[in-house]
Amino acid sequence: MNTESRKYVIIVFIFLVGISYVIRLFYMQILDESWMLRAQEIAEKRKEITPNRGAIFDRNNKQIVSNKVYYNLMFVEDKLHNFDANAFAKMLGWTKEQVLARFEEIKKGEGTYYNRHSKKRTSNYLKSRAYPFLKELTLDEILKIAPFLDKFPGFYEEATSMRSYPFANGANILGYLSEVTGEEIKKDRFYKPANNIGRTGLERYYEKELRGRKGIKYVVASAMNNTIQPYANGKYDTVSKPGANLILGIDISLQAYCEKLMQNKKGCIVSIEPSSGEILSFVSAPSFDPNLLIGKRNISQNYPKLNKDPNLPLYPRPLASEYPPGSIFKLVQGLVGMQEGVITENTGFPCNKSMVGCHGHAMATDIPKAVQYSCNPYFYYVMKKIIQQGKKKNTFADAEIGLAKWVKYMNSFGLGIKLQTDITGIKKGLIPGPAFYDKWYGHHNWQFNSIQSISIGQGEVKLTPLQMANIAVIIANKGWFYTPHFVKSISGKGPLERLKIKNYTMVESKYFPAVIEGMRRVVNEPGGTANSAKLTDIIIAGKTGTVQNPHGKDHSVFIAFAPLDNPKIAIAVFIENSGFGGTWAAPTASLVIEKYLTGKITNESKEKRIIDAKLSNIEIERE
Amino acid sequence: MRNNNSITGRIDWILVILLISLVLMGMATLYSAAFNQNYPNIFDISQLYGKQLIWIGISLFFGFIVYLIDSDIYKKFAIPIYGVILFLLVIVLFMPAVNGARAWLGIGSLGIQPAEFAKIAAALVLAKFISESNLKVQNNRVVLLAFSIILIPMILILLQPDAGTFVVFTSFLFVLYREGITFDPIILNITNSFPGVKFKQTWVGTHFIPISLIIIVLAIFTILLSRLAVSFVFLPSFEISGFVFITVVLSVIGFIGFFVVQQYSSKRDRSNLTSAIILGYILSLTITFTVHFGFSSLASHQKERIEFFLGMREDPDGEDYNRNRAMAAVGSGGINGKGYKNASVSSVRANHVPESETDFIFCPFAEEWGFLGSLILISIYTAVLIRIVFIAERQRSVFNRVYAYCVVMIIFYHVAINIGMNIGFAPVIGIPLPFFSYGGSSILSFTIMMFILLKLDSQRMDVLR
Repeated sequence: MNTESRKYVIIVFIFLVGISYVIRLFYMQILDESWMLRAQEIAEKRKEITPNRGAIFDRNNKQIVSNKVYYNLMFVEDKLHNFDANAFAKMLGWTKEQVLARFEEIKKGEGTYYNRHSKKRTSNYLKSRAYPFLKELTLDEILKIAPFLDKFPGFYEEATSMRSYPFANGANILGYLSEVTGEEIKKDRFYKPANNIGRTGLERYYEKELRGRKGIKYVVASAMNNTIQPYANGKYDTVSKPGANLILGIDISLQAYCEKLMQNKKGCIVSIEPSSGEILSFVSAPSFDPNLLIGKRNISQNYPKLNKDPNLPLYPRPLASEYPPGSIFKLVQGLVGMQEGVITENTGFPCNKSMVGCHGHAMATDIPKAVQYSCNPYFYYVMKKIIQQGKKKNTFADAEIGLAKWVKYMNSFGLGIKLQTDITGIKKGLIPGPAFYDKWYGHHNWQFNSIQSISIGQGEVKLTPLQMANIAVIIANKGWFYTPHFVKSISGKGPLERLKIKNYTMVESKYFPAVIEGMRRVVNEPGGTANSAKLTDIIIAGKTGTVQNPHGKDHSVFIAFAPLDNPKIAIAVFIENSGFGGTWAAPTASLVIEKYLTGKITNESKEKRIIDAKLSNIEIERE
Repeated sequence: MRNNNSITGRIDWILVILLISLVLMGMATLYSAAFNQNYPNIFDISQLYGKQLIWIGISLFFGFIVYLIDSDIYKKFAIPIYGVILFLLVIVLFMPAVNGARAWLGIGSLGIQPAEFAKIAAALVLAKFISESNLKVQNNRVVLLAFSIILIPMILILLQPDAGTFVVFTSFLFVLYREGITFDPIILNITNSFPGVKFKQTWVGTHFIPISLIIIVLAIFTILLSRLAVSFVFLPSFEISGFVFITVVLSVIGFIGFFVVQQYSSKRDRSNLTSAIILGYILSLTITFTVHFGFSSLASHQKERIEFFLGMREDPDGEDYNRNRAMAAVGSGGINGKGYKNASVSSVRANHVPESETDFIFCPFAEEWGFLGSLILISIYTAVLIRIVFIAERQRSVFNRVYAYCVVMIIFYHVAINIGMNIGFAPVIGIPLPFFSYGGSSILSFTIMMFILLKLDSQRMDVLR
């Protein structure tokens, strides 16, 4: 039998196998992505290098937020040899059961994952991986443990960094950090479990700047999960970038002084440098020590207490509390009246107490006097002229046009709108417009008489203390302002772009001197409502307010700026339930101004009186 | 006078160049996969690559000696060589087990595996036997002897146990097939013992290779389809079981074949072809039925083994650990691969793919060079095989031809199974990739095997003298 032709069987067979292998490889390597993913799952590991969070400095380069080293007590189960739980418990001052329970807790805390290949659910906990047995130990705490750790192979200490606040001030400005939630991890791939995120305040607002950029190191891991070599010679690695340092406009010593003045009081102090819009101090009283909210241990211990405190120490009042402004609102109405041409600075109105109550004073024959006396009827007339300009015969329609225009003026002063300040939680206050009253009274069913109380900053009008301080800024600047902001420089590159824009109000600068003159008199002339704020060397221009409070004692308000001819500081002080503006808010503001401008206090009895005052019954902690 | 004064005169340079390129690629892959930054020198003998270079040197030395020996010696000494190897295969069974197999004959740290050399010995003896037998008149004796030559070392190797080499020995069946050995005498003895049956020859005994391939393919399809229900695009709600489907397909093929034969074949062939088709149809159905019902009557753990083998079952972190990771490494290579020295899954140090320097050396290669590299490698191996078939067919002596075919089939088995393991086409039985994998016995035995072939080929004209 001739079998030579059988070589073809063999040749064809060899070719068939070769071709089928090539087809298979084509499918596996090019078409089917799943093997690629499987390979990544097996071998390539991303190792993240978390940069240091940026530090925060005050305007005089004093560090007010820094990173402090804490220690975690780590362990790797695979590396535990002859672990003596009894001795270990004794070292920690625990019981053996507590130690064992902690191990269980860690394992459970890791959760499980579903392996779709084997269809099995397995724990994420890996014996070869390091887990913290104890977290956030201070140096003192770890020093008690560290010397004995060599008896417990598999345990070791690891340094981590957490926030530290050398000054216990400005908690409501700075905010605090806490562990990210699952939602946040899902939303932003920057975060990994146990990472911290800025929860409130500047820590939250500037989270992206402060956190820096994580470096990613791709490493090739062995089957034992030990790093063995950089992947692709580090071609895909990214370098980590430390978080940006922030320099604040805050003067931390002034902040501390303001907080001291506000002790045992409820209210706010906001001071701003008019020429730059930088916030110098920002007090929400009562407040808390920011060191209470560092790390998981502290937060879980202290946050519930602070959160339940009826005095709301966590609440950033200057941003979020909306108060009727009281008489300080008259300043703005005077300016708008002059700009609208419905009055001049020499317009006088009688103090007609039949319209609204007033205190005894000489007739306000011009704007400065009206401001000085804070004449209620005067500003009723002014407001009426603004609202009812007689452009329509129908007074209701006329009021609608006038009020709409007025709202625009208010908005240009940053009132009734959200200031774009670099912090979260800002409220816009309330400047009622036509729509507001339409809803309230019905369309064309209201006119000036229905809404007259807004002319003296009562009724529906509400401002935040930040907006009040900004009014002082605007007047000091004669008509413009930079959006008040905390951060004057992000890693040396100046503030956010939008904070560099000058905002002009709709009132021309020529109308301001009359109001300023009034404010000067308020403080410096006899018969002014804020003589208690008078300083010998510095001329302060200010305006008091006493906000009627149906629920209790009136709120005391004062806005001011100084020095008169070259304003360096504008301020709003709002003290709840304390009475006349001239009695409490004005002297407090003068102390702040003096302290800021001269660094000392001349009138110590005035200072002592304010510090010692226990105004607005701070409620004792209740159940 | 032929070119006898030149040693290199008639060496088959095409084959030599193909082999050298394989060795270089293998060396480069090993240097990458087993690279140790602390010992970057490729000649560092503390590292796998340094050791492999030593083995290559030793192999070349022995290969050169082999090449100096006159080719007559192999025919003369085939049986003594075979005897020595069998003796070693027995001795090795009394050696201490390494990794669960008594496969190593240790001389210090340099161990060799006699099983690797048993392939050469069996090839030589088989060549000698077939060249000296008269295959025109086949009887039980010839078939059984030829079969025993293969079977004895196989059994000894299975005792080690070394499943891989055991399987490789079945490659000799292809050689027997090529040389026309038929199992007919044995089969006829059995069939004709039934009363009334009088066959003169069977197709089964003569064409056992194509027939067994058909059987294997049918069996695999039957098992693969056994679990599935087949539905049709044009008949969405209609489902039949996989078993019924394969039966129907076979019947359709049978009918078509039957009518084609009736219609177009010459009268002379018609009856023969008709009976062949009927026989084939019945045989296929029998196989399908046997496999189907045999498979379903297996114990569940046996079924699992088979399902793993066929890729119907996955257990990436258990049973299928090696193969799954090897496939991940290969599959992640993409078109161009990850680049030299960038195998992240299959580098030896990563240890994700166990044995990535020996049995799974294809992984780092395919991971680093991707589909294009794999294509080139498979092409080179195919070219080597086809070249040796070509060499085999040009031999004038039967001894040379049989030996050459043995080499073809041994290398083919090694390549097909080894690469098959890496791509999920073959079960994980540890056999090295020829000229590529790390390992002294492997590189030495393949080199000697090749040099014998080259020597035989260079002296093929001497038969005329």
